[in-house]
Amino acid sequence: MIKLEGVSKEYPGQNVAALSDADADIAKGEFVFLVGPSGSGKSTFLRLLNKQEEPDTGRIFVAGKDIGQMSSWKVPMLRRNIGSIFQDFKLLPTKTVAENVAFALEVIGRPRGVIRTQVPAICELVGLGDKMTKYPDQLSGGEQQRVSIARAFVNRPLILLADEPTGNLDPQTSIGIMRLLDRINKTGTTVVMASHDRGIVDTMRKRVIELSEGVIVRDQDRGVYE
Amino acid sequence: MAFRADYLLRETGQNLFRNPSLSIATILTVAVSLSLMGASLLVQQGIGRINNVFKDGVDFIVWLDVGVEDEQIESTNDFLQKSPYVQSTRYVDQEETFEEFQSYFSDEPEILELVEPGQLPTSFVVTPQDADVESIRAIADEIKILAGVDDVEFASDNIKAISTFSRGSSQIMLFAALLSAVAAAMLMYNSIRTAVFARRREIEVMRLVGATKWFIRIPFMLEGLLQGLIGAFLSIFSVFGLNKAFDNFFGSLDSFVFQDFALPGTQILLIGGSLMGVGAALGAIGAGVAVTRYLDA
Repeated sequence: MIKLEGVSKEYPGQNVAALSDADADIAKGEFVFLVGPSGSGKSTFLRLLNKQEEPDTGRIFVAGKDIGQMSSWKVPMLRRNIGSIFQDFKLLPTKTVAENVAFALEVIGRPRGVIRTQVPAICELVGLGDKMTKYPDQLSGGEQQRVSIARAFVNRPLILLADEPTGNLDPQTSIGIMRLLDRINKTGTTVVMASHDRGIVDTMRKRVIELSEGVIVRDQDRGVYE
Repeated sequence: MAFRADYLLRETGQNLFRNPSLSIATILTVAVSLSLMGASLLVQQGIGRINNVFKDGVDFIVWLDVGVEDEQIESTNDFLQKSPYVQSTRYVDQEETFEEFQSYFSDEPEILELVEPGQLPTSFVVTPQDADVESIRAIADEIKILAGVDDVEFASDNIKAISTFSRGSSQIMLFAALLSAVAAAMLMYNSIRTAVFARRREIEVMRLVGATKWFIRIPFMLEGLLQGLIGAFLSIFSVFGLNKAFDNFFGSLDSFVFQDFALPGTQILLIGGSLMGVGAALGAIGAGVAVTRYLDA
């Protein structure tokens, strides 16, 4: 599903490469943790996968396609197959839960009928069926992250990228979010999650890719944080 | 990919009303710029129409000296009758001149009291045969040197003076219109840039979930287009009003040359149409540049 071949990326003005000569092969339906300290290249890894960044060298394949060769007008189509969630949720404060989720369908031109059936269904799935008319600031952090998961998953993407999704949440709430991500993974969606939450990584016992100063130093099935 | 009308209307409307003062400033600048442009077109076409009237034949007036002798009147009349360029002449005697004088100064009785019919000059009103400017000038020069002739009032002198003045002022208006059009386009650019900035969260989400470039762009382009069109629409009112003012003013002059200076409704519509076109172009250009700079970067 995802394949990196010798991928390097350097940001101008920084002496350490964000990613250097990274190779990785992630199969369909896998759940992969990216671990490592801040600045080790986890976010860059994720941002390269949906072409928010371009690699300096190397090739990246997503769903069998070399995304480096992809023409720019096809990038939106790539992103429709890749859901993203973040530490800061990136919800729109002026829209309700349902509107936030609907927005993701609306802006890719889905018909109204689809939106009307899909939005309540996905809100139910993430456990917010009774909070669809609430605004983000009326929700707890965990609930807000559920909204953003609903938004990322409502298109049934092949891949879900999660950048420190539990970074702002307490341990108890984090467990709930991880259960949800696990359920999404069980539907066949490939999940790649950057985290430095030792407890979560150790509990889940999934594949772990460890980064240090942009170098992949460990790639271990059913791994732990270190 | 289908655009949904309600989505576009909602987003464009939200953009317009998010920063009302900037939207209004943009719209008004477009309106001012296009009003100037419309006024300039109005004056230019008015001049064109005056010149058309002039081509259809225009009188000039031969003023005789006060106390001119009868035989001098006769000889001048003979000269005019024999001239191949003259179609007809009409002698205006002192009584008729006095009547005109009375109506002209009707609200200033103190002037009327000072003047008696005998003090006024008489004149010939001449309709030329072939009214091209050169031949009229030629006979006017010949008539001027006849005995008993004071002066030849040449209608085209007035017309020329006014034409020149109008043309000059219409060019200045056009220049001002261009300057304010530049201001309008720059305001448009800033207005759209502000809208893009205000919506950067939405835009980020749209990009992430895979909205296409045009889907993100079009509400902003529409906003610019709409601002341009609303401004143009307002400017049509001022052009219409100005034309009405011309109509009243030149109508009151009772001058058959200038009565046609104001344009008929159909031509106003034509000017209005071109102003809408220019407004739309201003909007599209300003918004297009802003969108290319700040959305696709």
